[in-house]
Amino acid sequence: MISRSSLAFRLIAAASVVSVVLLIAAGILLSSLFTAAVERSLDARLQAVMDGLLASVELEKEVPKINNVLADTRFEIPLAGWYWQISSLDGDPARQVASASLLDERLPLTQFMKSDRRPGNRMSGYLTDQSGNTLRVIEQRFTLFGSKEQYSFLVAGNFDELQTEVSAFNNALIAVLGLLGLGLVAAILLQVRYGLRPLSDLQGELSEIREGEQERIAGSYPDEIQTVTDELNLLLKSNTEVIERARTQVGNLAHALKTPLSVLTNEAGIHGGKLGSKVSEQTGVMRDQVSMYLDRARRAARAKTIGSSTDASDVVRSIVRTLERIHVDSKILVKASYDTDIRFRGERQDLEEMVGNLLDNAFKWTGGKVAVGVRPSASPIDKRIAWIDVCVEDNGPGLPDGGAAIAMERGKRLDETKPGSGLGLSIVSETAAMYGGKLFLDKSDLGGLHAVLTLPAARRGDG
Amino acid sequence: MRLLVVEDDPDLNRQLVTALGDAGYAVDTASDGEEGHFLGDTEPYDAVILDIGLPVMDGVSVLENWRRDGRKMPVLILTARDRWSDKVAGFDAGADDYVAKPFHMEEVLARVRALLRRASGNASSEMTCGDLALDTSSARVTVDGGAIKLTSLEFRLLSYMMHHKGKVISRTELVEHLYDQDFDRDSNTIEVFVGRLRKKLGIDVLKTVRGLGYCLSEPDDQS
Repeated sequence: MISRSSLAFRLIAAASVVSVVLLIAAGILLSSLFTAAVERSLDARLQAVMDGLLASVELEKEVPKINNVLADTRFEIPLAGWYWQISSLDGDPARQVASASLLDERLPLTQFMKSDRRPGNRMSGYLTDQSGNTLRVIEQRFTLFGSKEQYSFLVAGNFDELQTEVSAFNNALIAVLGLLGLGLVAAILLQVRYGLRPLSDLQGELSEIREGEQERIAGSYPDEIQTVTDELNLLLKSNTEVIERARTQVGNLAHALKTPLSVLTNEAGIHGGKLGSKVSEQTGVMRDQVSMYLDRARRAARAKTIGSSTDASDVVRSIVRTLERIHVDSKILVKASYDTDIRFRGERQDLEEMVGNLLDNAFKWTGGKVAVGVRPSASPIDKRIAWIDVCVEDNGPGLPDGGAAIAMERGKRLDETKPGSGLGLSIVSETAAMYGGKLFLDKSDLGGLHAVLTLPAARRGDG
Repeated sequence: MRLLVVEDDPDLNRQLVTALGDAGYAVDTASDGEEGHFLGDTEPYDAVILDIGLPVMDGVSVLENWRRDGRKMPVLILTARDRWSDKVAGFDAGADDYVAKPFHMEEVLARVRALLRRASGNASSEMTCGDLALDTSSARVTVDGGAIKLTSLEFRLLSYMMHHKGKVISRTELVEHLYDQDFDRDSNTIEVFVGRLRKKLGIDVLKTVRGLGYCLSEPDDQS
């Protein structure tokens, strides 16, 4: 769903790693604090038992004895993990007394035998008894009344019983922290989605610009992205300006070269002779070169333009109007049908050149009838996007069988009797191909040529 | 037939004037848009050859201004910019035809002839009046099949009358359409030309309408 190279992945991964590490640290800390608290409360209970022992112990010939039995019955259940033991420091078994639960076992004192202990100082630690219970042990030494010797008082509790409490706490802790972690990840996902949404909006707008449905980035964005979109808009604007300038210069060049070429052609025509015919021939070559390079320059400028759309019906209508004026003497009957809101995804000039050439042919060859139509395409080239058809028919001679391919070749003319450069249909089909479109030539019901120009449509736009 | 050529390139301008003059037209010339606009606005031209790329005021604006002021003479535009948008703009401004540069002079001459013919309502290049025939494309005048040799001014006079067959044309109008603006005009010389022309044609087609001018019409059978 989220690619490893995406910004979303980086944000989510970084935030998740930090949260998981922090949650684990918090878990460990809480668990150890709880264990310590449990230990402290056990110690307090054991201390109470020790205080009880101290109150009821007395010496009888250096041997400690307990007068009255402790209230806590756990100290009488054999080997259950709850013990007390009072012993002399010399380890003499005869001078020891212990709880009933210990039976004839005795707890070792080795870990409390440190030389630098002061009397009354309590020590604590862990031991394991015969039946494998982990014991929490506290030990304290007292000098008893009637003796100068110190006796070791030791009380042990079953720590395993508390361990279940600790692990219950740990389980609850893991569950709570786990839920918290999941909640955090969900929050991060939501935040990243929300935070990055302007970027996907921007991408949508950019692709619309590329498809010619809008000319600039129109939406408003968060400050950080707005600066980028402002720059992009400026870039688009300067791109358009550069192309416009290039076109103007191409036009100027055309004007600058064509007038002197006219002069030369005519001067050569007037003077005639060997030089005259040579000049005529060469100016002819120059004229072809100029128009070829102008054509190329236009294409190069065009290839970089993005984001324009053109009202196709409007273009066709104005060219038909112009041709009707040019051919006003011929009384040509034009039957036109223009669907509204048919937009071509591309440059107005390109559409004008394509439609102009097709219509020019129709008007040139027709026997008096021309039919023009602009409509959504009946046979789209690629079903994923919309296409438009510009249909031009006439009742002229049409093309001979197999002539369609030749007609679309550059510089080929099937009939040399009418003026023309032989570039018309080849320019139309090349320009159409540049937009992914196509020119179909067929026989018309009117009797002449039926040309269908299929081009990509723009859904809406302001170009 | 009097024409106006508006073209800023001096060489092309000279070539157009020479070629049109040779073809029997009286030609005025302007080398920028403003001068061209003024001449077209004030002088009665039969047709105008107008370059689109002009200094001071571009050709399309000149044309738009003429049409807005009600000037209806046929206009042939010359353009180096031969894209369809340029053609559409030219025709929408009121042009009647166009020639793309670089062009051969014959093409301009043919288009001018066609424009003049269209303006006078003639379908073919040959115009007739009784036995008299004038072919505008070859500049040949025949009476009953026999060629008549005319001077350029006589041809111009006959051509204008043929283009306006059946209409009474005043001497002033003739002067305005036969001479270019630099010519020292004198309407009395018209009578001399008309007399010479009648003699050369030998048939009675060019009639005097007393007090008004001249009229070209089929000879009366009775006379």
